[in-house]
Amino acid sequence: MTAITNSQSGNFGNYDAHQSDSAAAQLRADKWMISGTILMGTAILGLFGLPLFLYGLRLQINAAKAGLSMRPTIVTLIGYLVIIDSALNSMGWTLDLFANHTLVNRVLTTGWGAMFDGGYFWHYNELWLGGAGAPGEKAWEIALIPVLFCARLAAAIGLLQMKRWGQQWLIVTCWMGVIVWTGYNTNMTIFADIRYSGVTFPVWGWWLYDIWYITPFLSLPYLHTVNREIFSE
Amino acid sequence: MNASNEKDLPLGTTAHYANMHKWLQRGLFVCLVCLVFEAALSFPLIAMWMGWPTLTLTEVCHEMEKVRFADDSRECIVPYPLFGPAEAKGQKTAQDTWGIQPRPHYKRIGYRDLVKFRDERLAREAAGARLRAERDVALKAGLSAAQPQQ
Repeated sequence: MTAITNSQSGNFGNYDAHQSDSAAAQLRADKWMISGTILMGTAILGLFGLPLFLYGLRLQINAAKAGLSMRPTIVTLIGYLVIIDSALNSMGWTLDLFANHTLVNRVLTTGWGAMFDGGYFWHYNELWLGGAGAPGEKAWEIALIPVLFCARLAAAIGLLQMKRWGQQWLIVTCWMGVIVWTGYNTNMTIFADIRYSGVTFPVWGWWLYDIWYITPFLSLPYLHTVNREIFSE
Repeated sequence: MNASNEKDLPLGTTAHYANMHKWLQRGLFVCLVCLVFEAALSFPLIAMWMGWPTLTLTEVCHEMEKVRFADDSRECIVPYPLFGPAEAKGQKTAQDTWGIQPRPHYKRIGYRDLVKFRDERLAREAAGARLRAERDVALKAGLSAAQPQQ
């Protein structure tokens, strides 16, 4: 037994070295991408975060080209995009839910409402809870911030760690996202007078602004067709 | 797909789905970049559309309230008391056609319209004040002309 182990120790050693080199290169790339994502998740500082993220992505791609075992680029993009998408959605809605009387919210959110979605302008801060008073809007906020976006953030972190539960939970939360898009747009269509009357860029403006949040629709086809063996138990 | 092509594919991608994964990756990258630009620029661009820096952010807030509630006397309270009631609670001035699907009647806010609305309102108020002053002067003159006759 000892002899066998010793005879193969060179091979295991090479394998281990490759593994540790790969992990170190991935960690180095992730440190840049995490820093970039924290800044991008703040919205206003996003332009400072993007170069950091892109540099980390380049480090990862170069390490993979050099032969190290790195996370697939598409998994990296899905993971970090889901985090940014959840952060931006949560921040906007949390401002409306909890900080609806701050000056920044009354300029940013109601200004955005006047330009793209009257639900965030119409009778704003008249509801006892404050913020948007459009039918159904508060229910979406209360349901989605703690349930969907928190779960999706956790799933994205698991996915970036190449965990099987991360892939599975991202599938679950992206399907929740499909339900959200369907329900939310149906609500907006039924109450279209409130959402789009007197709005500067109605309907097409809203779609142009919000289309970039279609992460679930781009993630699901990949998550269902990737070889799941690459994610560890 | 031959073996060498298979080896060129990213980990987890089979030849059958390689093209789809390639386009999904491109779409994801575009979404990420657009989201970051949009999120970073939203606040400054919305503020500029609404009249900043000609108007301060507080004045932008005042002007939007006047439009929203069709009431020139409305102003944003800044800073707002932490546990105060909702700012617009009980307001009676907003213009809507009420029904099962309400329809608002506020003005559409175009590029820097709030500056124009503010200037027009100030001009109206100045004209009103001037008229009142002229009327007061005329009244006083009328009174003083009438007094000697008494």
